[in-house]
Amino acid sequence: MNSFVYVTYIQATPQKVWDAITKPDVTRQFWMHTNDSDWKAGSDWRHTRLDGDTVDVQGKVLESDPPKRLIISWFAPHKAANPELHSRVQFDISEHKPGIARLEVSHTDLQPDVLNGVSIGWPQVLSNMKSLLETGKAASMW
Amino acid sequence: MTSDLTTEDTVYIIYIAAQPQKVWDALTISEFTKRYFFGRSVESDWKKGSSWMLRMPDGRVDVKGVVREADPPRKLAVSWIVDWIDPKPPEAIVTYEIEDTGNGVMRLTMTESHPTAIPRAWLEGGRKGWPMILSGLKSLIETGKPLGLPTPMPPEGPRK
Repeated sequence: MNSFVYVTYIQATPQKVWDAITKPDVTRQFWMHTNDSDWKAGSDWRHTRLDGDTVDVQGKVLESDPPKRLIISWFAPHKAANPELHSRVQFDISEHKPGIARLEVSHTDLQPDVLNGVSIGWPQVLSNMKSLLETGKAASMW
Repeated sequence: MTSDLTTEDTVYIIYIAAQPQKVWDALTISEFTKRYFFGRSVESDWKKGSSWMLRMPDGRVDVKGVVREADPPRKLAVSWIVDWIDPKPPEAIVTYEIEDTGNGVMRLTMTESHPTAIPRAWLEGGRKGWPMILSGLKSLIETGKPLGLPTPMPPEGPRK
């Protein structure tokens, strides 16, 4: 099965990076979506467009250890009944040195068509997150 | 040395809010590279066929090679030979491509390719380094401040 890994270093605390992934008020500024959940293991999460209605991706929270690690399952809603098509995203956040966080996103169990999409998407999303956290402005690439 | 050899590419893509010339300058002028490329400076006239080198902060040569392709401010390809490993490793090719995505945002794609197989451990070393280097380049351009990541030294120390 395919996987995609992306690492970035951000002038921010691990908590700020965690919040960027999990808090709708921050996420909406750089991802054109919000990630909605209570972020407890076993809960559902949804990747929702800013219209508030359209869910593009959903899944379960598999592991949650704020602000260091979040593991979620990831699939389009129409694939909900096909667990063999579900992928997995792991976010690992650490303090690389004071004031600089290291974020590693590891997206595994990917079908080839999904691999293509996320290989393009993650560098955009994470570049945008880095710009927002460091400058207060997302790079507005959409 | 491990017998596990590979010719896999390493590709890293990062988006930067800047004009393409800014990204080109950050890659080719020491005033900038010293602030994000682990303190290293660069030397070349960046014309096709010219030599180039990357120097450590103490002046020792880290990497040398030849400019294979130069199309400022869009594309730069260089051969990449780490100078302090004995015997010298085979030549890698590092290519930077700078593309305009609109809205004043550039996509920088770094591709490290290996025409001749190298030990997997060397490949993994590069894969650890590029995200630090290119995250630092983006921060420097967008905020004016480098990340200031600690400078890693070669594991066994330079031999020359």
